Amino acid sequence: MPEDLEGLKEQYLRCVRCGQCRSVCPVFEVVKNETATPRGKVFLAHLLATGEIEANSQVQAQLSRCLLCRSCSKECPSAIPVHQIVTAARAELAVKVPSPVKRLVFRKIWTRPRRLALAAGVTRNIQALGLDKLGLYLRLLPPGFALPGRLPRRPAHTIIPAITPATGETRLRVGYFLGCSTNFLFPAAAASTVAVLSSLGCEVVIPPELKCCGLPQLASGEAAAASALASANSEVFRRLNVQAVVSDCASCTATLKESPEFDGLKVTELSELLLELIQKYSPGLKQIQKPVTYHDPCHLAKAQGITAAPRELLRLTCMDFREMDGAADCCGSGGAFALYHYRTSMSILNKKIANIKKSGAEIVATSCPTCIMQLRHGLAAHGCKTDVVHTVELLGKTLGRET
Amino acid sequence: MGHQDLGVELKRIFPPERVLTSELERRMYSYDSSFMARFHSFVPDAVVLPRSTQEVSALMKLASQRRIPVIPRGAGSGETCGCLAVRGGIVVDLSAWDAIEEVDVANMQVFARPGVVHYKLNEHLAGFGLFFPPDPGSTRMCTVGGMVANNSSGLRAVKYGTTEQYVLGLEVVLPDGQVIQTGGSNNCRALKNVSGLNLTKLFVGSEGVLGIITRIRLRVWPRPKARGMAMAVFSELEQAPAAVLDVYQSGILPSGIEILDTSAIQAINMYKPEINLPSAEAILIFEVDGNPAGVAWEGQQIAEIVGRRAVSVEWATDPARMADLWRGRSVVAVAAARLRPDGSRIFAGEDISVPLSRVTEALRRIKELSRKHDVAVVNYGHIGDGNIHTAPVINLDSSAEVQRANALVDDIHRLAIAMGGSTTGEHGVGAVRNQYTMDEHGEAALVMKQLKETLDPLNIMNPGKLLPPEGGKDRA
Repeated sequence: MPEDLEGLKEQYLRCVRCGQCRSVCPVFEVVKNETATPRGKVFLAHLLATGEIEANSQVQAQLSRCLLCRSCSKECPSAIPVHQIVTAARAELAVKVPSPVKRLVFRKIWTRPRRLALAAGVTRNIQALGLDKLGLYLRLLPPGFALPGRLPRRPAHTIIPAITPATGETRLRVGYFLGCSTNFLFPAAAASTVAVLSSLGCEVVIPPELKCCGLPQLASGEAAAASALASANSEVFRRLNVQAVVSDCASCTATLKESPEFDGLKVTELSELLLELIQKYSPGLKQIQKPVTYHDPCHLAKAQGITAAPRELLRLTCMDFREMDGAADCCGSGGAFALYHYRTSMSILNKKIANIKKSGAEIVATSCPTCIMQLRHGLAAHGCKTDVVHTVELLGKTLGRET
Repeated sequence: MGHQDLGVELKRIFPPERVLTSELERRMYSYDSSFMARFHSFVPDAVVLPRSTQEVSALMKLASQRRIPVIPRGAGSGETCGCLAVRGGIVVDLSAWDAIEEVDVANMQVFARPGVVHYKLNEHLAGFGLFFPPDPGSTRMCTVGGMVANNSSGLRAVKYGTTEQYVLGLEVVLPDGQVIQTGGSNNCRALKNVSGLNLTKLFVGSEGVLGIITRIRLRVWPRPKARGMAMAVFSELEQAPAAVLDVYQSGILPSGIEILDTSAIQAINMYKPEINLPSAEAILIFEVDGNPAGVAWEGQQIAEIVGRRAVSVEWATDPARMADLWRGRSVVAVAAARLRPDGSRIFAGEDISVPLSRVTEALRRIKELSRKHDVAVVNYGHIGDGNIHTAPVINLDSSAEVQRANALVDDIHRLAIAMGGSTTGEHGVGAVRNQYTMDEHGEAALVMKQLKETLDPLNIMNPGKLLPPEGGKDRA
């Protein structure tokens, strides 16, 4: 279980409210008043913990205005884990001010793969009938519902075999943690991950009984559900006897790495593993000709401190790799944040889109499915033809393992 | 008048999204970075976020009519409760009004609204080869309006002085709503102007007790082309100020001279082990800036002069190393809390100023006081101009420790006055040090009061700050 508010007391007491977090918080940059600052959220969490304010929907609304991007946690001179404090406060609020809808979605549906697949199927049918567009048009649905775009016909787990052998000699047996977003939204990225790993000598196992990593539950205050998911998933991998657990989703990887339930299992971030394998075995790589830039997902750059490996991979495979300004700035997605706070999310995204345009890149590579979703949404809204792909998809092309 | 009624009146002046009246929103304006704000809840009656001088003027007229206190606020990074509603009232959050309206390169000046953040202003000015020299440790968040209101300075004050030296003129909304221009009329772009009483200087550092600063005309300087840094390690504390004097007497004026004592060194190493400072009684960091040849020559000179007293001197030209040294110094303020796992660094008694000749004595006596009150402190500061930062580190949960910290802080303030210094070199008075204003200024404090009464007869402009409190010790 992650720490509760009481367990984080020493951390929030340490906040001197210097306000340095104001300089990096993407939400504050848009809202521009104190109520949106990270220190303000730490302050509220503190008041909540001491009972000076009562848990109610207003407190919940204030604390929901956080992307959990960790920019502030990284910037804080006192190293206060603001994201953990916000998460713990949300958990407390979820108990005291329960939301039946959130409970249904995050506890009852999202925790069970079959129900989630069913929900995805229903969504697909709604989209096929054009009801989503009607709902958005009539404002029966919040605008954030447009974010995922058209769901692909078949999720990844129905296309990719449970075990993919290595091409040639088996150098490593890896467990592929196929996250919910990659599975339902970006099956092509999942296929690339498996194909690339296989071509670099990995036997890839996708355990069919895997569940969600637990991040959506954590972020919405369902800490116990998140913990149960982590337990279940870790047991699956322990039984499999794999040498590494790998995921192409930055958020899943960060969550698994930080779950105490995964202690003793080796969770490896995909780009780091791929770079290691490529450097070791130097396979032939074709070059991508188009200009490519890279967007750092917060859960990769800030949560895991990984910024070099994906760039190294792109430099190896792209003729024209260019850095964009503010590559590590949050895109404003933050999972359900974009759904709850669509306008704020879009304002944050606009800056990113401007930087992408300025870079002149025709392809944006990144390694987080929700970032891909958000960036595609923003680029389309700006009438921009720039493509957004997962880094591993470019690698698939250069290795001749197109999917 | 209730919050809702007040809200209705304010919404006649401001669009509704720029008036905050809910309890939760108001509560989030009840703090700054001060120690005092942790134990008092100064919740304002309303918060407004202006975007024009007209709005501020209308606000002041309403406040005058209703006799409601008005409290200007920047980023809320201050350490004196200066931006808090200690007597209730309306907090004016100016931080979102952050336009840089014009960089007049030909006249070496910039016009900005009060909310612009210091580092953003300098980032913008860099594009013109210019900069605004005062460099507070809070550069990432503090607003230029807040800097002017508090006459802030910081790491490079030794060469570049304080904010007041750069303020050419101000637009100020007076407590009755009247708008004035100081430093010359609206179209004045002169760099020198000695006509009339210097109202600009009156408002700089006035902490919002005389009016609200709504536009700032700042003098800017050519940006130096090069920087270099020397770090000197001393086995005896006394050698450090002596080395500073040696450097001055050799005819060199560094852009910054910072001191770290044993406890500060320890805190930095715990925070950023890669900086890896040697353990010592004191470390001095000298920074020189200017043209590349001058920087190299001055750096060599400093290394040689300081080397006579120091155990070791490192002359850093590698930008990464320099950045690390400077970063370590600029975060020590908050990194101090790392000294103990349950510790919080508090901002209280944190920026006394003493005569240059008595810095060593002051540091020794602060250590004695720390032992006397059994409160751990981390000392660092701008030794180049006698400005010492003391960071008490306590467990906020222990009321005994809090009490001891308050006693320590009072002693530190009194020590500063007794040594011929000041209770505050840069953070200001606010509501936490106005009890010393009479001791520091004597009769002059009464003239300050008269000035205040003339400009603000209703006492609605940020009351309870800066000036001596009625009846002596009443805090806020």
